[in-house]
Amino acid sequence: MNLTPEIISILVLDAIFLLFSIYAFTISLQIVRKWDLNSTTLYQYNLEKKSILVATIIKYIFMLKIPLFIFFVFTSDKISNVITGAMCAAGVVNSVSFGLPLFVFKIINLFIFGFWLVLHKVDMQDEKLPFVKLKFTIFLVAFFLLITEIYYEVSFFNALDVDKIVSCCGTLFSVSSSSGLSIIFNLPNSVVISLFYGSLIVLIVGYVIKNHIFFLISNFFFFIISIISLILFFGTYIYELPTHHCPFCFLQKDYYYVGYFLYITLFIGTFSGMSGAVIKLLKPTYKDNFYKISLIFNLLYSFSVSAYVVVYYLKNGVWL
Amino acid sequence: MIKCINLTKKFKNITALDNVNFTCNKGEVVVLKGSSGSGKSTLLSQIAALAKPTFGEVIIDGKRVSKMPDNFVAVFRRENMGFIFQRYNLIPNLNVFENIITPLIPANPDEKELEKKVDTLLDMLNISKKKNIIVKNLSGGEQQRVAIARALINDPKIIIADEPTANLDSKLSKEFISILKKLKDGDKTIIVATHDPLFFDLDFVDKTVEMKDGKINESNS
Repeated sequence: MNLTPEIISILVLDAIFLLFSIYAFTISLQIVRKWDLNSTTLYQYNLEKKSILVATIIKYIFMLKIPLFIFFVFTSDKISNVITGAMCAAGVVNSVSFGLPLFVFKIINLFIFGFWLVLHKVDMQDEKLPFVKLKFTIFLVAFFLLITEIYYEVSFFNALDVDKIVSCCGTLFSVSSSSGLSIIFNLPNSVVISLFYGSLIVLIVGYVIKNHIFFLISNFFFFIISIISLILFFGTYIYELPTHHCPFCFLQKDYYYVGYFLYITLFIGTFSGMSGAVIKLLKPTYKDNFYKISLIFNLLYSFSVSAYVVVYYLKNGVWL
Repeated sequence: MIKCINLTKKFKNITALDNVNFTCNKGEVVVLKGSSGSGKSTLLSQIAALAKPTFGEVIIDGKRVSKMPDNFVAVFRRENMGFIFQRYNLIPNLNVFENIITPLIPANPDEKELEKKVDTLLDMLNISKKKNIIVKNLSGGEQQRVAIARALINDPKIIIADEPTANLDSKLSKEFISILKKLKDGDKTIIVATHDPLFFDLDFVDKTVEMKDGKINESNS
């Protein structure tokens, strides 16, 4: 294993998370099975005390896991210097067979962990704690996702081989790529642009009509389409290279780390929309700003990526 | 209305409260009497939801305070309860005004309104001239008045006093009792835990509850 300070930090945190999450899991099982807020027994009072402790543990694990994802990307990008052939995190991620699935899995977990945090906040704002069972049930599922993620993360760092020659992003994210990703590279730009702006309009409609299921689905599709359009279309304007489709290179200093801004903006926008919609479905009376935050950040993301295209055209007078 | 149902509190092997059932109606003055270690203070802490019971519960005005999460209990206490302690529990290096307003700091009240409230209380308790004096320089009786003012600053419905006259001489204790009477006239519910005999034959006390070994012996006064 190539132990850089960043990898050691991630592994140490993984070990801590593992330890605390196992304890949280055992107590969560008791809560899901025996919780009865109306009961005034010693067992229930003990469960109430433990639920506060365990919810706090889970809260801090998940709160740390979210920025740690960015740190994981940063680390993958940084160690690309020592992996032969890798130019950015893409080469590192793809140097291990399960690298890309791990990456996607981490993104899914990000949404689930984030949703748990939102649900916990909503639950703690009601003195009847209406979502205790639900949030600990979600944790029981999230625990296995967390354990799986930790297992594959450790395996990932363990499998990194500095002597192995890997492909760079130019090869991995292209029409000639051997991965399943090559299918999307055959999509014409006009379709990609139409899908992106179309999904944005659908999202705005969802915001206006305040239909929660509609807003949830529109945010989900906006997220997927945004990632695809960023790789296929908008990214080329960030790189000012029509053939470069890497989703990682713009995380580097050469591009002023703009990728972090774009991904974080997109995540906040779509996550707020999806979690806000689910919360509204669970508790219609709950007052929050999730929809507003979602719209603001999704629009900010859309304006930001669109600006690259417009600025490029104004500067050069041609489209890529 | 305050209702304790099958209230039990154990500290390891010690049973401080043993299946206590107790009711106090709105506007009543209840005196809890009993020797040290009989469970008076534990009962008060349970009523104030300062600690969770081992078993049973406390219901105040229909709210199950024992079952409330801590953040809600804190707000409930701030809005509904005032506390007077045996040792006053004032912050010695702050002045009278600053001590009195401490319970309201989390609520971030309007300063002018707060000042008005404090002045009214200081007038009522005859300590207006001491407003800017550091409390450690006050006499015991004056400190107790400051503690009373602090207990009343949030205009609570319920006042809980734990051995309030233990550090006062008989003259000051009588003054304290006259203040309690005024509060009772103001429709406050008051629960006093004490073993001071001055409290046992007061005409405005609605109920005297005797406690022994964590159990209660209720009798109308």
